[in-house]
Amino acid sequence: MAARDDSTRGPAVGYADPLGEPFLRTRFAVPARPATFVRRPRLTAHLDQALDTPLTMVNGAAGAGKTLLVADWAAGLGQPVAWLTNEAGDQGPGMFWAYVLHALHTAGTPLPAGIGGSPEGIRMVDHRLLARLADELNGRDRPAILVLDEFDRLAAPETAEQLEFVLHHAGRGLRLILVTRTEPLLPLHRYRAAAAMTEIRNQELAFTPEEAADLLARHGLRLPAHAARALVERTGGWAAGLRLSALAAQQSTDPETYLKEFEAGHSTIADFLLAEVVGRQPPETQDLLLRVSVLDRFGPELAEALTGRPDAGPLLAGLCRQNAFVEDLGHSWYRLHPLFGEILGVHLRARSPGLEPELHRRAARWLRAHGAVPDALAHGAAAADWECTAGILVDDLAIGRLLTGLRADDLTRLFSGMGPEATGAAVDLVRAARALSEHDLDHGLAHLGRAEESLPPGATTAAGRLSCVLLESLAARLTGSPDRAEQAVSEAARLRREVPAHLLARHPELTALLQTHLGSARVWAGHFDEARAALTEVADLPGDAVTELPREDCLGHLALIDYFDGRPDRAESRALAATDATRHCGGRPFPGAGLGQLVLAAVAVDRDELGRARALLAEAAEYGPGPGVPDPVTEAYRALVTGRLHLALGDPAAAAHAADPAVRTQVTSPWAEANAALAAAAVLLAEGRPGRAAEVLDGIERPGGPVCAAEVAWARLAAGHREEAVETAGRLCTEGRTGLGVTVRATLVRARAAAEAGDAGTARKLLARALLEARRDRLRRPFLDAGPGIRRLLDTPPLHGLAAGWLYGDGPGADSPPLLVEELSGREREVLGRLAQMMSTQEIAADLYVSVNTVKTHLKSIYRKLGVGRRGDAVRRARERGLL
Amino acid sequence: MRYEIRVEGTMSETLTRAFPEMEHVTMSGETVLFGPVVDEAHLYGLLNRCLSLGLRVVEMRRLPE
Repeated sequence: MAARDDSTRGPAVGYADPLGEPFLRTRFAVPARPATFVRRPRLTAHLDQALDTPLTMVNGAAGAGKTLLVADWAAGLGQPVAWLTNEAGDQGPGMFWAYVLHALHTAGTPLPAGIGGSPEGIRMVDHRLLARLADELNGRDRPAILVLDEFDRLAAPETAEQLEFVLHHAGRGLRLILVTRTEPLLPLHRYRAAAAMTEIRNQELAFTPEEAADLLARHGLRLPAHAARALVERTGGWAAGLRLSALAAQQSTDPETYLKEFEAGHSTIADFLLAEVVGRQPPETQDLLLRVSVLDRFGPELAEALTGRPDAGPLLAGLCRQNAFVEDLGHSWYRLHPLFGEILGVHLRARSPGLEPELHRRAARWLRAHGAVPDALAHGAAAADWECTAGILVDDLAIGRLLTGLRADDLTRLFSGMGPEATGAAVDLVRAARALSEHDLDHGLAHLGRAEESLPPGATTAAGRLSCVLLESLAARLTGSPDRAEQAVSEAARLRREVPAHLLARHPELTALLQTHLGSARVWAGHFDEARAALTEVADLPGDAVTELPREDCLGHLALIDYFDGRPDRAESRALAATDATRHCGGRPFPGAGLGQLVLAAVAVDRDELGRARALLAEAAEYGPGPGVPDPVTEAYRALVTGRLHLALGDPAAAAHAADPAVRTQVTSPWAEANAALAAAAVLLAEGRPGRAAEVLDGIERPGGPVCAAEVAWARLAAGHREEAVETAGRLCTEGRTGLGVTVRATLVRARAAAEAGDAGTARKLLARALLEARRDRLRRPFLDAGPGIRRLLDTPPLHGLAAGWLYGDGPGADSPPLLVEELSGREREVLGRLAQMMSTQEIAADLYVSVNTVKTHLKSIYRKLGVGRRGDAVRRARERGLL
Repeated sequence: MRYEIRVEGTMSETLTRAFPEMEHVTMSGETVLFGPVVDEAHLYGLLNRCLSLGLRVVEMRRLPE
């Protein structure tokens, strides 16, 4: 983490949140009670019940004294309490859970390795994470106590659902206390009915006359009992109203008369009293209070940036001493009491119309200068100063965050208010990034072009130009132009030297995205070795939320290269790694989304597992091209796999139709072309026109990968060009670095050629070699396609033994998937059905009203009966066998 | 649709500016905010605004067109 100035966003603690920003320590602190705080034993006694119920809700109007009550109770508890003050704003559930985990961690709750404590543990809110958290809490002897203050500020409705899930499954291990203005979206009736909830509501929070008298006494005001009662009546016992009336009375010459007059009035309480109290402050203090109302939290320096005067420090300290409006967060950071902040905001807008945007702009500028980028962006957007806001993003080298990472959706939303009137290079860059992320090439390129034109060379624009080349690389990938991608990446290498190193270090996604797009463009052009070099760099990066999507994309591409190299096993394991990540992260679509599934489908076709291939293609289609220009590599490969499946199903016409990817690109892709030609040749061969097929095959300039080359050789042989085919096959077999997908196919070419030449002995020898090799990976397709001549040979004694058990699926062999020997029970089918809906073990248990262990037992026997080891495979196998 | 929101107490001129889209009138110790409400979201927004300004809503009703 880059060293940060403590004066920017408030003191930060170690670790970083999923955005790479340090956690804000102030959000985990149990708020301090002011000197005038009145302890109310009837309420703390009620709160003690929170230790016995899973859920506690302290629910009351703004300024009802909820937070201080719980803070005081927590401080006197004698055991650690995890405290989290929620903030309004753009955080989705990912950020919320990151903060919750950190709050638990800060309170000393041990969490399992890999979750909490490190940003790598928290990608998106992965259900597994919640399940593991609940599991971990469930096993505790003493419950963890978690207070979520200002819970009403959490906008995302799924947060409540997830919280309910964790609470339910944590059992006795978690005591959750929600402090909120509004009723949360949890199934409260259920908790109430089960007496599993402690509830303190507005009515109970209201001050009694005795408590009110106590509060006023702490402000140096002695009131007779009847006066206190009248005041409680007037304010409804509302803590904020009482506190304000005490402050107002304190400042007046005759407090008792003042209060009497106030009691008789009809004004709305907070508004009236606040105006009174603020009105009696010196003008510079009034000005300060009004201006800082646009900020969530502030230190003296930031406040001074808004007032333009150098006196904020003593003024704030003074306000804090008087206990008026300003709350001390520690380390010279303050915030306005939320209720008073809102009302002051209204006063600011009334008194100085038009000043608010200017204040936001000043705040944005100060925060930007002090490196607090997220806050600066928020204020820039609030000021609707898009040039400044876009400038902050670009100068921070954070343009890639619009394309990947947890923040992408939030940032997109932040800029959604940007109208066409905004101008400037940074604005155009943001527009280009948004358009390109939606695959809207025309607009993306137009904006990008405008941005490039308006950025003169020079150190001041280096970040802008680096952002340009990042988007260039994406455009190059989407248009299938490797040269353009190469140029962008070499330009980036030069520009990296012109931007500060700490910025680059904070944005690993920049390099990851550049390399990914370069790798993809190279794959398109059939330059597999160079592509592998670029892609491996990203795939080897440590797990990180901002590089997760490019990493997956690279793994998908590497799997594709492995497939073309004829290494189905390696392709499969890489593709599984890529799809595993996509499934668990959900998240936004990325150009290469679904590529992993496509590679798995191709491997399945090669193994003649056609049902599985079809299921995988359907799965990949879920990530399929949305509106806009499709990703060339993904689309062409989708076409290739779909074509292969049709061929395997014996429908060459459909294959030829499917094999033509609808992509428009700068350069053609050798493997995409070769594949289309192969499909066309297959149709012609099926129609009995070998001459025409040979012509089509002759048109293939470069086959694009060894597997394609071997397939072309096979097609040539079928079209009657034996010599050429055998020569190619011989070369492919001796090249050495190719995988069995290539050698098996090439050996088959030679075997068939030998058989056709009447040399059955050589053909048998070659076939034996091919069978031995193919058996390791259950590579069935080439043999099944090999035609009646080879088939006859395979049926003869020595070869028959080598093919038995795996090639024709005519009996359980060592490598073939075992047949379903035992029927699934009804309960197992129910579990399987829920598994297919991607439910977690815990969810299935809850849904079926059984324990987690019971579900695990069912899962084990499902795996055993289906002969698989993982849930994904179980679902797939079940689909193949029509069990779902 | 048009709504009327009754709030306890007399709101100051300044505070009523927090509801620029509504007209207001004070009567017998209450402030009545009334005016067009675009949709549900707007309605809940208005209630939220009352909540965050410490206003006590006494009554809320939809007005006949």
